[in-house]
Amino acid sequence: MTSTATRTGSPGGTESPPADSRSGLAGLLDLPAAAVRGIARSAAKTPGRLSVIAVGLVLLSLLTGLVGTIVIGDRKDTINDLIDHREPLAAASQQVYRSLSDADATAASAFLSIGTEPPELRQRYDTDIAQAGAALAKAASDSAGVDDAAAQVAVLSQQLPVYTGVVETARANNRLGYPAGGAYLREASELMRSKILPAAQDLYRIDTERLAEEQDDATAVPWFTTLLVLALVAALVVTQVYLTRRTNRVLNIGLVVATGAVVLALLWGAVAVVVQGVLVGNGADDGSKQVDQLVRARIAALQARTDETLTLVARGEGGAYEKDFMVLASALAKTDGTGGLLGEAKDMTAGQDSAAHVEAAIKDAKAWFAAHGEVRKRDDTGDYNGAVTLAIDPKAEGSAAAAFTRLDGNLVAAIDVGRQAFLDATRGADRALTLLAPGFAVLAVVAAAGVTMGIRERLREYR
Amino acid sequence: MRTLTTRGTRVTFAALATGIALVAAGCGSAGKPIEPAPVGAAGRPLPANAEVPAKSAGGGGAADASCDTRSTAPTGTSVTAGSTMAKIKSRGQLIAGVDQTTYLFGFRNPTTGELEGFDIDMVKQIAKAIFGTDQGTIRYRAIPSSQRIPVLKNHEVDVVVRTMSITCDRLKDINFSSKYYVAGQRVLVNKNSPAKKLGDLGGKKVCATKSSTSLPRIAAEAAKPVPVAVDNWSDCLVMLQQGQVDAVSTDDVILAGMAAQDPTLQVVGDRFSTENYGIGIPKDQTDMVGFVNSVLDTVRAGPWRDSYNSWLTGKLPPADPPQGEYK
Repeated sequence: MTSTATRTGSPGGTESPPADSRSGLAGLLDLPAAAVRGIARSAAKTPGRLSVIAVGLVLLSLLTGLVGTIVIGDRKDTINDLIDHREPLAAASQQVYRSLSDADATAASAFLSIGTEPPELRQRYDTDIAQAGAALAKAASDSAGVDDAAAQVAVLSQQLPVYTGVVETARANNRLGYPAGGAYLREASELMRSKILPAAQDLYRIDTERLAEEQDDATAVPWFTTLLVLALVAALVVTQVYLTRRTNRVLNIGLVVATGAVVLALLWGAVAVVVQGVLVGNGADDGSKQVDQLVRARIAALQARTDETLTLVARGEGGAYEKDFMVLASALAKTDGTGGLLGEAKDMTAGQDSAAHVEAAIKDAKAWFAAHGEVRKRDDTGDYNGAVTLAIDPKAEGSAAAAFTRLDGNLVAAIDVGRQAFLDATRGADRALTLLAPGFAVLAVVAAAGVTMGIRERLREYR
Repeated sequence: MRTLTTRGTRVTFAALATGIALVAAGCGSAGKPIEPAPVGAAGRPLPANAEVPAKSAGGGGAADASCDTRSTAPTGTSVTAGSTMAKIKSRGQLIAGVDQTTYLFGFRNPTTGELEGFDIDMVKQIAKAIFGTDQGTIRYRAIPSSQRIPVLKNHEVDVVVRTMSITCDRLKDINFSSKYYVAGQRVLVNKNSPAKKLGDLGGKKVCATKSSTSLPRIAAEAAKPVPVAVDNWSDCLVMLQQGQVDAVSTDDVILAGMAAQDPTLQVVGDRFSTENYGIGIPKDQTDMVGFVNSVLDTVRAGPWRDSYNSWLTGKLPPADPPQGEYK
């Protein structure tokens, strides 16, 4: 119908272009210029102008529909990526750190235990290594293209087998009653603490940052689409005013339908995107940010636990480990259980499901620090074996091992609550965008059709 | 004519397009296939604080003749009021700086969790003399070689019994008891190694602990082996087993302990030094030196041989307790 309209607008009066003299590439280049000249000529008269307006509006509607659909689809992909990749990866890299750190502390505990290695420690170490391997595979699956993350994954996947090899050598020597076992264990621990754990910590940091970045992406206002839609609404309104003046008719059904469709798309999109943004924000505030805080508390606790064990392994030369323990312990919480990473976590989780776990964790930390004080007292006054028992035997009365295990368990429970909160909110955000992308496309097509029909009706009157 | 021209043009175009396709496919570098596992050289980890090569070959000095290495004469094993021994007794514990990594001399027995060895036997004898028993009266403090002098100077321990040679350098900072054992430096290598003495190890890495008397002797060897320094003797064994050093060179008793843990190693060459082991005591506690020397006199009379038999017989040739030399 567009071509019909143009022909109506330029009834033969102009001389035909000298087609024979210009051909090939030059003619091809001339086409747009000719078209512009044609449009300008026809726009000088009302029917031509109407056709130009119709084409413009249809194109704008379709463009808006296309851009909006792509932007919304993109956003839905981002949110799904948060749920399917970013958060699970941050959790996986956290798991890598936890498992490795726990393996290190457990290997040291096993070394301290007398005689045959206690089967529960052996079991715990084996589980730690298996979990670390599985979580590392998960974390590695998405490190491609992120050089920093890939570098850390490379360190982890190259050094983990080396670590387990050295620990097994230590174990074999220990079984034979040779002190070389202790030396291999120290070497393994050094490898863990100087290379492997820093890489795991970096990987966790990178994955957490990527999660936060993508959450920001998913809550950004889609300015370009918004502007396009508003421009389209304005153009439709102006066209209607113009037509009313020209034809003295108040309503043009086609254009009204088009305007209605665009306004509906605008309202639907605005509400959905706002709700979605709020929910993604909730997922960050009540979910992933809390998890990050709790994970940092957990990492500090794990490091301190390893220090506690290694102080005893070093037997007298563990001053540096003990100093490190004190630093980490006060970062975790002051000796009275307030402030520190746990205190901040308590403030963040106040009034939420995880608050009870965090409070229990603070109580456990207090108990642990008290037990640690007793361990140090026993060791410093010569009761080395008593100190070892109190430190590593979970069944001993008021033992550091039991308090630490409870603390870790409560942190895990709080982390799980936070992860669930993230998932619930983010899944809600995903649902808020349900059907919006195809809906936007359909409404844009309806608008284009409305414009076409509305203006064609007016054009008929000029025939 | 016109049709012909058009066909000709078409043919030209077709030929041109084919040419472009062929040329584009054929020339220009395609790059290299992606490396599946970009790993450079992988290596075994090193023990904590290992220095390859040693940053400083400074050690505890050699047993030279530049000073009088004889000890204070024995003063009896009675704990007199106000003495250092009386203070230890009232504290309830003798604090001893020992090794927990040197098999046969001072090591943690993984099956019992207790410290054992020839040096530990000496500590027990001193505790017995002060308290009447060695049960619950000793607080062991495991120290690396480099900390032997500092812990004595800071009075963090009462005695250091840790395969420590009496040297003039060390006598400037601490007191020594009379010698309770005489060792000598030798070399530990893999059984398939062609090296038969330190002189065969020119350019090869040879391990010893920091601040030991062995380290400067490795550095002083004319064949120029590369000294490698670690915290504890068992770290040397770890590095030798991991192939990171070619040999360990130190006192034969320490080497015998390593060889006992690994049948693929052997001690080679002759003793090329004499190491008189003494018990380290803080400089200002001469009363303790006389007391410990009396304890050692009793030890030489009997317990010494029991200790030697339980730890060293079969691994080293038979030996007698060295006689104490006093000023």
